[in-house]
Amino acid sequence: MNFRLITAFFLAFGLWLTVAQTTGHAQVQTSSDQVILTHSRLQHIIDRHWSDSTATGAGKFQAGITVDSLRDMINEAVHNGQARRNTHGRPGTIYEYDFQRQIGTTIDGGPATRLRVVVSNRNEVITAFPF
Amino acid sequence: MHLDYRLSEDRETDWSSVTEEDLRYRVALGNLVFRVGDKDFSADWGWIPLVDLAASFAEIVRKLEAGSASETFEFTESDAWVRFEKKGEKVLVSTSYGEGVGEIALHSASEAVKSFRERLRSELVRKHPQAAHNTAVKNLLGAV
Repeated sequence: MNFRLITAFFLAFGLWLTVAQTTGHAQVQTSSDQVILTHSRLQHIIDRHWSDSTATGAGKFQAGITVDSLRDMINEAVHNGQARRNTHGRPGTIYEYDFQRQIGTTIDGGPATRLRVVVSNRNEVITAFPF
Repeated sequence: MHLDYRLSEDRETDWSSVTEEDLRYRVALGNLVFRVGDKDFSADWGWIPLVDLAASFAEIVRKLEAGSASETFEFTESDAWVRFEKKGEKVLVSTSYGEGVGEIALHSASEAVKSFRERLRSELVRKHPQAAHNTAVKNLLGAV
């Protein structure tokens, strides 16, 4: 393979990363075992599951959890959690991971230590919540 | 078995372009009205994706009719669930969030789910005519 071809490859890869970072992906990943959290899905999680959310019947993250720590928790759950197919024809995969410490509250208000992450077939996070 | 819904107001969705993922998680949200005998398993959380629930319940009934002994519906934004266990021609219904166990004939459950799907589809198409031509809506709720 000649030098120009290799240079062109790296230039194209760098350009792709730059474009991806400016087109709504809160997290840009380059390998297939990592997931993408878009701004709209992040907003969905904040609206539904943040500690100050008024949504009923949904698990809530503990106060103090930041967007960055949420991303870290999602990646940890996807890498180390138990995976299963989404249920009853829903697209994607469910990952569940027990952090062995409280990360939020269940729908009854009790302590939640586990995180469920739903990931689409395009490797994008659909939702994530503690339980 | 009384199976019904309350659809939340929605003026933002472009029904010509909604996808299956939208319908499964983000669109046509509302409350579930669900009574089996004297047991009330309704959920007034406001965020339940009703098209997803209709499609999932329909698949659950199909599986029970095909011989499955037990099927569990999982809500999309919590670990809450509804379990259907077949006992002969009857189905026992229990939930993670309500007390007790309800009992219903399998054919009655099937009719209630079919009616739920049809009513939901009619209301969506009446309120959002573009939904009638949307492939994902047809796939999940059936064509006219």
